[in-house]
Amino acid sequence: MRSIRTLTRIDLSVWRRTPWVVAAALVPPLGMAVLVAMLTVAVSRQPVALVVQDHSPQAEAMADIIRSDTDTYALQQTSLAGARTLLARQQVCAIIVIPKGFGRDLASANAKLDLTLNNIDYDFSDDIRRSISRSVSEYDAPQLGVALARSGTSATVPNPYRVDIDEHDLRQTNVDFLHYQVVPVLLLLIINVGMLSSAVMASRDRERGTDRVLTLAPVSPMARIAGRLVAGMAVTFGVLIPTTAILVWTHQIAPPGGHWLAVFGILALTTLFSVSLGIFLGSSIKRSSTVALSGVIVASYLFFLGGGFTTIAFLPNWLRDVSQIVPTRYAIDSLRQALFYPTLLGVVHNLIVVGGFALLTLGASVLMVRKVAR
Amino acid sequence: MSEWFAACSAGLRLQARQFGKARVIICLTVVEALTFLFLVSLFGLTGSKAPTAIIMQDHGALAQSFVTDLRNDHHSFRLEVMGATEAKQLLDRGDLVAIITIPADFSSTVRSGHTAAISVAVDNVDADLTDDIQRAVPAAIETFGVQHHFGGIRVAPAEHDLIGHDTAYIPYLVVSALALDALVVAGALAATAMAGEWENRTLVQWRLAPASMTGVLIGKLITVVAVSTVAVWMAALLVFFGYGVHPHSLPGALSALVLCTVIFAAIGACVGNLLRKTLPVATLFFGLALPLYIDSGSLEPERFDGGWLWFVAHLTPVYAAVGVLQSAINGLKVTPEPVAVDLGILLLWAVAAVAVAHSILQRARRAQ
Repeated sequence: MRSIRTLTRIDLSVWRRTPWVVAAALVPPLGMAVLVAMLTVAVSRQPVALVVQDHSPQAEAMADIIRSDTDTYALQQTSLAGARTLLARQQVCAIIVIPKGFGRDLASANAKLDLTLNNIDYDFSDDIRRSISRSVSEYDAPQLGVALARSGTSATVPNPYRVDIDEHDLRQTNVDFLHYQVVPVLLLLIINVGMLSSAVMASRDRERGTDRVLTLAPVSPMARIAGRLVAGMAVTFGVLIPTTAILVWTHQIAPPGGHWLAVFGILALTTLFSVSLGIFLGSSIKRSSTVALSGVIVASYLFFLGGGFTTIAFLPNWLRDVSQIVPTRYAIDSLRQALFYPTLLGVVHNLIVVGGFALLTLGASVLMVRKVAR
Repeated sequence: MSEWFAACSAGLRLQARQFGKARVIICLTVVEALTFLFLVSLFGLTGSKAPTAIIMQDHGALAQSFVTDLRNDHHSFRLEVMGATEAKQLLDRGDLVAIITIPADFSSTVRSGHTAAISVAVDNVDADLTDDIQRAVPAAIETFGVQHHFGGIRVAPAEHDLIGHDTAYIPYLVVSALALDALVVAGALAATAMAGEWENRTLVQWRLAPASMTGVLIGKLITVVAVSTVAVWMAALLVFFGYGVHPHSLPGALSALVLCTVIFAAIGACVGNLLRKTLPVATLFFGLALPLYIDSGSLEPERFDGGWLWFVAHLTPVYAAVGVLQSAINGLKVTPEPVAVDLGILLLWAVAAVAVAHSILQRARRAQ
């Protein structure tokens, strides 16, 4: 125990003298946090110009339907010439025109809603296309516009499209994009700080030759790993605890009552896994700059294949199979479950899996340290 | 002048030798660049074709027609026909986003002029995914009604596209990612090269040597640009052949990538001179690449994201680089500025970045 304490103290004193190592590890999660914030703006509403050329009550009703879809459109109502200028300057991505005679054409069931679309890529173009179809169908079948929002209503409402929707939501909560993505960013912070900082510390020993001194010292490889593990976890918690406190204080994360223990468990096990992986990486690679580069790559794969910033269900089958052996997938899944949903369904299983991965990595680190010592 | 070229040639050879000793770093930098492409593709996969189960309790013609409309519904669904039990299991496991059930009496109800209710079970795991489903299903219903000329439908959309063809999301994303690849590869290699000179204290020898410092710096940067260009072109080949993106102008695309590597190598040299340590270089460039990727028109034209983000985008060369690359490869105009202006901005950035890197070195020389 004494040797572990001493080794922990040595590592922590090195940390104090090289705070920029932790600072460097913070850059990718900070970058990801900025990315998520920007993406929240980018993926939400699209700038669209609305031109109302008809002044009949029917045209006004159509315009009201479009105006009310505030989740989709950031509307600017203007003249046709103004809309064309905005489109040319890329200040809007589409123009919706309610043409002159809309009210008259409606009586003969022949009304058109003109959409001019800057169809640069599928993603936002399709969002606009779906939304305009929904707005159009809402005119004759108002329930289709809000159909999926009326969860739980099973009565079929007649409409000219002859199809109605009976929606059942799987979960009680509906989390917005920003809050949903805060979870993986928090885990990216743990992966980066825990893994990179421990890896750099381990490779530093090899680069400077201090590992030889430690090999000659009466300290077992297990004690060396334990000392480094405790120091790495202390440093990661030093960053994680204030970050979590800020997120809680700003209501970015607010788990239901009784879920805090699960949240702490997930964060602690992910930290254990990340620090163990860092020790393994640092013991395997000699140069610290190489360790940093490989650490960034490993962290990226752990993050993305674990479902951070992606949704596993959308991936091809082979990638979904690969993600089964990515420990961060279980950490991200269980943290989302613990934070956003009323039950802790599957959390215990996921915690066991993450803990298992952490122990495996720790075992591999011990073997690697022994191998290097020989 | 010949002395300057001699210094430049010496710098070039010096860097080539240093790269020769650090092949692992170069390989990892290339892997990092390819990783960026891969990760961007993963993100692109979540933008469309939500994995959805369709439970067919009716096999009539109208039910089949409705399923076809769902399938063709603006890349909204990746439909798989399956049984209710399997679908429920997959939805609970997170392998599906939604289950759409076509009831047994769908065709007969619709044929008789009445309204059939389809059941839609949604994994409303986050608002973004749920919104997509909530838009897509009514859109398919609208198409279905219009296609079968049901009475009582009074309005239909009439779409006019500005561009004759649609560009798929991943080909759009990966082209933008090439600009960021240039940043990660050229920036990280140049920064490592310069920071290494500080870390190993060899910069003192630059000062003592009777040679132009600018020449040595330019020589080193030429090697960095050459190596980075090879790496970025490899990524570009992957985009052209692996992703099946056919460049609108191949020489234009390759030249734009070279220009990007020049700029980012120069910026990397500045960063290396400021950091003076090799270790944080990789994390810094990869970390910077993420927000820069989003704020450069990589997902959609940046102007669509509002004036403030558009203004910020102009503060980095990535915005202009994405504009030039999208024009050269996908033939798309993604910035309100003409492509020639974007190109001019890139050239200005290149000159400014080399000048700043040089002035930092000169200051350091005076300080020593």
